Amino acid sequence: MIEILNHLGYGLQIALAPINLLYAFIGCLVGTLIGVLPGIGPAGGMALLIPLTYGKEPASAIILLAGIYYGAMYGGSTTSILLNVPGEAASVVTSLDGYQMARKGRAGPALSIAAIGSFIAGTIGVALLMVLGPPLAKVALQFGPAETFALMVFGLSTVTSLAGKSVRKGLVATTFGLMLATVGSDLPTGIIRFTFDIPKLMEGVDIIVVAIGLFAVSEILSSAEEMRAGEFLVEKVSRIWLSLQDFLESIGAILRGSFLGFLIGVLPGAAHVTASFLSYTLEKRLSKHPERFGQGEIRGVAAPESANNSAACGALIPLLTMGLPASAVTAVLYGALLMTGVRPSPFLFQKHPDVVWGLIGSMYIGNVMLLVLNLPLVALWVKILRTPPRWLFPIVLAVSFVGVYSVNAAALDLLLATLLGVVGYFMRRLDYPLAPVILGLVLGNLLEQALRQTLMISGGSLDIFWRSPIAITLFVLAAVVVAMPKVLYRSQSKLEVET
Amino acid sequence: MKRAERIGAAVVLLLGAGYLWDALLMEDVTIGDPLGPKVFPVILGVLMAMLGLSLLIRPVDGSPPRPLTSSAAYALVLALMLCAYGLGIEWIGYPVATFLFLLAASRLLGEKSWVAGLVIPLALSLGVFGLFTRVLDIPLPLGWIGKLME
Repeated sequence: MIEILNHLGYGLQIALAPINLLYAFIGCLVGTLIGVLPGIGPAGGMALLIPLTYGKEPASAIILLAGIYYGAMYGGSTTSILLNVPGEAASVVTSLDGYQMARKGRAGPALSIAAIGSFIAGTIGVALLMVLGPPLAKVALQFGPAETFALMVFGLSTVTSLAGKSVRKGLVATTFGLMLATVGSDLPTGIIRFTFDIPKLMEGVDIIVVAIGLFAVSEILSSAEEMRAGEFLVEKVSRIWLSLQDFLESIGAILRGSFLGFLIGVLPGAAHVTASFLSYTLEKRLSKHPERFGQGEIRGVAAPESANNSAACGALIPLLTMGLPASAVTAVLYGALLMTGVRPSPFLFQKHPDVVWGLIGSMYIGNVMLLVLNLPLVALWVKILRTPPRWLFPIVLAVSFVGVYSVNAAALDLLLATLLGVVGYFMRRLDYPLAPVILGLVLGNLLEQALRQTLMISGGSLDIFWRSPIAITLFVLAAVVVAMPKVLYRSQSKLEVET
Repeated sequence: MKRAERIGAAVVLLLGAGYLWDALLMEDVTIGDPLGPKVFPVILGVLMAMLGLSLLIRPVDGSPPRPLTSSAAYALVLALMLCAYGLGIEWIGYPVATFLFLLAASRLLGEKSWVAGLVIPLALSLGVFGLFTRVLDIPLPLGWIGKLME
């Protein structure tokens, strides 16, 4: 323990060097801007800004990039809460209750709890990273394709079963997402699937295009209709700051989200998206009032925001302890490290303690900076909502479109986003949940590849799943989760009748 | 409004069947991989078609969906404007397409003043264009207006 504190002291010393403080600050600032703009996610933003790190000390370079990563995660929640425009896949979950809070005049508390939750989760995540890093890395190594497949099945079934009132409609949404994921060229064989001979579709359907189309565009189409029918109401901002009661209500969700997010973050496969979805469903399951979720429940904002931040810390573990980049973001960090002459390997802790501990130290400091940077901005952001809807809607659409366009510079993506907006509009009307589509799309390729790799290892036999205790446990949990909601809802409605 | 539910279920069924059809027509290649590119999509197609069938036969009980009224036409017109905007970005360029879209959409949604109706789109289209191309260094198309300027 004392050794860890010594290391931490060393790391803070590096991170507090004026030049590194400046880099952390620039990183957080640029990251927040990237996060607020839809389209360019954390990984893309970091890749764009790698040139800034040329010729810098390895520790400084990674501090700058990690700042961008953190900042983008913070900023991404802002537009999903205010405008229902998710900047990246993980913020889709935040928008579910965050946007409803904003429409009820509680945008301020929603933004504040997102910032505070991220701060607490980031701090817990960094602490867990120091203490649990090496032992957890060993567990993660046991996750072969079979276990990864089981984990993703578990994640998908959890979200499916709790997303809406009907499990069948949830399954339709999940399957639709998985179908979208199969569009494009199949990685191992190069076979072209479901592209309808449109060359641009060979690279597949981008997640941002779907997230913006399905959420932002469809939301505005519905809102424009409601506005014309005289039903679109945004309540006045009641209070900008968080009340103590809001905080106390959310703290449990923040802590649970932090630990859950961290654990999922260590595991392979789109960790921070899965983490935010699972922590949301966990809170819904634990809540005495699951029906409030989706209507502007503050815990529905606190949990996913916390989870995706601590998952970001967890995702660093495979990189720092084994030299394996397990996600898009850590892959960019990996590349940046190579460029500064540091080779990520299992010996990174021994060979380059300044990089590892400097990074950990700067994450603490980055968290404080982001909180200080973001809380005052809340008051400013909330003012955006005073824009009259006849202007707000077209502007949100135009900003979303520039985000979508910037992903691939393809006009086809804009038409796709519009089409998905119309699909989402009808899904809303008919009570089909939208969030599982995103998770299905994010996990689709990973899920299929994990299944195919598993069967390749076993030579086509499904027995391999029954030989892995981790996979069996996850499958059983998945089955329980799918069977449970009916039982739960029933017992709850009985209780209501009795009382 | 059980009818809307059933139409939705029929669309799900058709989507599943169409996807399954396309998946079955796909050529099959395996390189030491027992599943190949075909099996996973076939499973998805069957699942989706079955869900559609099940929803068609036994619709979910619940609150009936909102009836389609004449206001729904606004959503449709807005969607068509978005299509035109998406097509126009590469043709007449980002600034002009954005200007026209903001102008048209705000009038559709009830902006009465021509001054605000012209000034806001002008400022926004040029502002966003400048932010992306100059500050963030992300290129946006100018279309044939760009060619004229050369």
